[in-house]
Amino acid sequence: MIVAMSETLAKNENTDDLRYDIFNREFMPHIDSMYNFAFRLTMDEDDANDLVQDTYLKAFRFIKSFEQGTNAKAWLFRILKNSFINDYRKKSKEPSKVDYQEVETTYNSEEASDTTYTVDLRADAVQELIGDEVANALNALPVDFRTVIILCDIEGFTYEEMAKILDIPIGTVRSRLHRARNLLKEKLRSYANTMGYDS
Amino acid sequence: MNESIKTPSVTDEAHTPQMKTKCEHHAECMKVIQAILDDQATEAEKDHFRENIDKCIPCIESYNLEKCIKASLVEKVQKKPCPKNILNTIISKINS
Repeated sequence: MIVAMSETLAKNENTDDLRYDIFNREFMPHIDSMYNFAFRLTMDEDDANDLVQDTYLKAFRFIKSFEQGTNAKAWLFRILKNSFINDYRKKSKEPSKVDYQEVETTYNSEEASDTTYTVDLRADAVQELIGDEVANALNALPVDFRTVIILCDIEGFTYEEMAKILDIPIGTVRSRLHRARNLLKEKLRSYANTMGYDS
Repeated sequence: MNESIKTPSVTDEAHTPQMKTKCEHHAECMKVIQAILDDQATEAEKDHFRENIDKCIPCIESYNLEKCIKASLVEKVQKKPCPKNILNTIISKINS
């Protein structure tokens, strides 16, 4: 009995060591990316702080469901995205400028058909823009469109990883990304025009 | 980015009559161009890109614009480090 108890204790200690090891080795290196993702989703420093903390505490609590050798960053981003939708989106301080469904419907409609949709913007006008202008254009997008651009262009996730993070099919990732980029180009063009750059 | 795919450019030579000035399937081309820049294109999409990109001015211009926007997002959008107090709170909570 005593031996069995000792074995159990030793096993628990090993399990704990393993949890801390995975947490430090696999999860902590992504904390800056997680913080920036949280900030760009919530647009608020306090909410971003809470969201990152909640995500890491959830990740630790559910660490057994993380399969070692799989993509820890994508796993963490998925938790953060779900926490954002469940806990923060409703109380987000971001004014709901455009309803996502409304945007998606508009961009799926005949009159805004992709086949004719182009934005008149030149590459060198984009090169003239400063970081704040690019960031403001990104921040002005509805959150679901902002999210796919952050995941793909800033964080470098593959379409397959994005599909898992967002719980949507790869085809939807591609079409959402395509629409998001068209919207971003419109925002960038209006910044370029405002700043007097020839778009 | 696939290194075997060279960045196309609109040159004087590119304005010869053989070059297309309108793209009749630009929406589809845009999806291919974005997949190429995201390094997510299928082999068929890569083949289509290689065969057509130097023949179509709107596609060359779109490629350069998309590439420039993607680079701007990576290089110009400021990234902040996670505040130390959040890090410390997380560590103290999981150790408690």
